[in-house]
Amino acid sequence: MKLRSVKYLTGEGVKSIWANRLMSIASIGVLIACMTLIGLAVLLTSNVNQAMNNLETENVIMVYFNDRNSVLYGDSETLSSALAAANSSGDASGTASTASGSTSSTASTTASSTASTAATTDRYQIPESAYLIHNEDEAKAVCEEIRKLDNIHNVEFISSAQGLQNAKETVSDGGLTTLLDEDNPISHGAKVTLTDLSRFDETVASIRSVKGVDKVYTVRNLAQTITTIKNVVGNAGVWIIAILLIIALVIVSNTIRVTMYNRKLEIGIMKAVGATNAFIRFPFLIEGVTLGLISALLSEGVVYFCYRIAAEGLKSQFGGGMIRFSAMAWQLLGIFAVIGVLAGTVGSLIMISKYLRKEGSEFRAI
Amino acid sequence: MRTINEAAFLPTDLPVQTPPEPIIEFKGVSKTYVTGTHALRDVNVTIRRGEFVFVVGASGAGKSTFMKLIMREEKANTGDIIVNRFSLSRMPKKQIPMLRRTMGIVFQDFRLIESMTVFDNVAFAMHVTGAGNREIRKEVSRVLSQVGLGNKARSKPLELSGGEQQRVGLARALVNRPDLIIADEPTGNVDPNMSYEIVALLSEINQRGTTILMVTHDHNLVRDFHHRVIMLEDGQIVADNAEGAVL
Ligand SMILES: Nc1ncnc2c1ncn2[C@@H]1O[C@H](COP(=O)(O)OP(=O)(O)OP(=O)(O)O)[C@@H](O)[C@H]1O
Ligand SMILES: [Mg+2]
Repeated sequence: MKLRSVKYLTGEGVKSIWANRLMSIASIGVLIACMTLIGLAVLLTSNVNQAMNNLETENVIMVYFNDRNSVLYGDSETLSSALAAANSSGDASGTASTASGSTSSTASTTASSTASTAATTDRYQIPESAYLIHNEDEAKAVCEEIRKLDNIHNVEFISSAQGLQNAKETVSDGGLTTLLDEDNPISHGAKVTLTDLSRFDETVASIRSVKGVDKVYTVRNLAQTITTIKNVVGNAGVWIIAILLIIALVIVSNTIRVTMYNRKLEIGIMKAVGATNAFIRFPFLIEGVTLGLISALLSEGVVYFCYRIAAEGLKSQFGGGMIRFSAMAWQLLGIFAVIGVLAGTVGSLIMISKYLRKEGSEFRAI
Repeated sequence: MRTINEAAFLPTDLPVQTPPEPIIEFKGVSKTYVTGTHALRDVNVTIRRGEFVFVVGASGAGKSTFMKLIMREEKANTGDIIVNRFSLSRMPKKQIPMLRRTMGIVFQDFRLIESMTVFDNVAFAMHVTGAGNREIRKEVSRVLSQVGLGNKARSKPLELSGGEQQRVGLARALVNRPDLIIADEPTGNVDPNMSYEIVALLSEINQRGTTILMVTHDHNLVRDFHHRVIMLEDGQIVADNAEGAVL
């Protein structure tokens, strides 16, 4: 098509919006409603996702390493098998323990009693070969190994001393915890956070299989809940957007149908004087796309105000952590523009093609 | 031997040896609508460049069908039609616009766009061909004065009489300088005086070389303007006053 035809037809398309202004306003209104809902769905989904991402990184996995304490204060089986293994290999050397042995945990009581029968020089004498982590440096090396795994957000080394300190802070029981100072039962460990909670189980499994890791404590339920919320919100968002897109399409094609009905005489004359189908289609396309783009611009403004109001109301739920509109403004405008152009193009082409396909009786009214 | 009517439009200063080439040829054409109506049966006819032809016949005889086949609004079931060198039976649909740009179509009900001025109604047909604004202004003015509406360019169709409206329709058909004018009862909606005016105008256009094909029920027009007359009856040509016409 010639450039001046494009110019002429663009003008005709825009004129038609004005000529059908009532219909145009109505369809712009519905399109704005659709786009606004889509925009708010996008914003809600983004906010929920962000909130969940924050939660995700706060969902801590506690890892304890296989050190002397883990053997000594672990369950009795671990201890006896460790000692048995040590004895049979003839290696009786172990780090001398200075522990007083008075703990409240059943495990340690059992452990100490078992240990006392097996030990020769020291009640708690445990051979070094019975555990893998002998000092903080080795423990930190395990942290590095964990950090190398996939889907790890952060690994924070917690020494056994730090672990005891943390325990004291949470359990406000002065007497008991001062006693523990004498013989700290807590193993070296690490706080691990994940990037993506939906791969929780597999990541935990791979942490478990790292050499030197003894126990992994997780809050699996929270991980599942977060993953579920993300999925539900994500799916709902997709459905809402899909349905609204279809509505937008129907609206535009309906407007174009009315325009075509109003202009059936013109279309007939155009055909009579030798207009190509592309030429006839073009103004309708322009009309549809223009309606879409006008709606996109107005929707951006409407969504901005709706979001400001919503942000006020939801502040308590989301804390201060709601995404700022400006961070999403261009993305939203892009989405609206795409919806507008898509609805305008597809909506008008569906309609006009339906009519143009009819062979014969082309000069008659639709 | 040539008929008087035919000789009337031939340039007198040229010796006429070979007849002008055909612009429309029907070769064994039949048209049956999906309803089963046989609108045309085995029609054979040749219309040459420069002719003025009245198509007459009773209501339902197939006159409009004849015209619609020429402008390819309907397609023949059998036979071939050649219009301006386009073979309509073999022509792909995409070519229809090109065929129509070689002809001007005049409607009984004028078909003017009421919201547009006379000028824009005529210019409309030129925009379709991708003409530029300057050319459009020039040609529209030319053709409006040709039909005697040079001073009505800014009027809206509803401000004009029926005859004037049909002259706008005629101007629109003429503006792209077609070889052929197709007019199905162009005088059907105007009073007798206006009818004469319009046919006189068409005859004048025909004098300048444009082929005219016009359906009419008006016997007075056929009698007073001496042109070739093709008569249809029940989908067949039953009379043709052209020389050498085989019936
Ligand atoms: N689109 C159509 N579908 C079915 N039948 C049709 C159609 N158009 C015309 N006919 C039939 O074909 C026959 C010829 O119709 P046509 O319109 O060619 O007649 P006509 O000579 O123009 O008549 P009139 O003088 O009344 O305009 C008629 O019987 C008519 O009913
Ligand atoms: Mg008819």
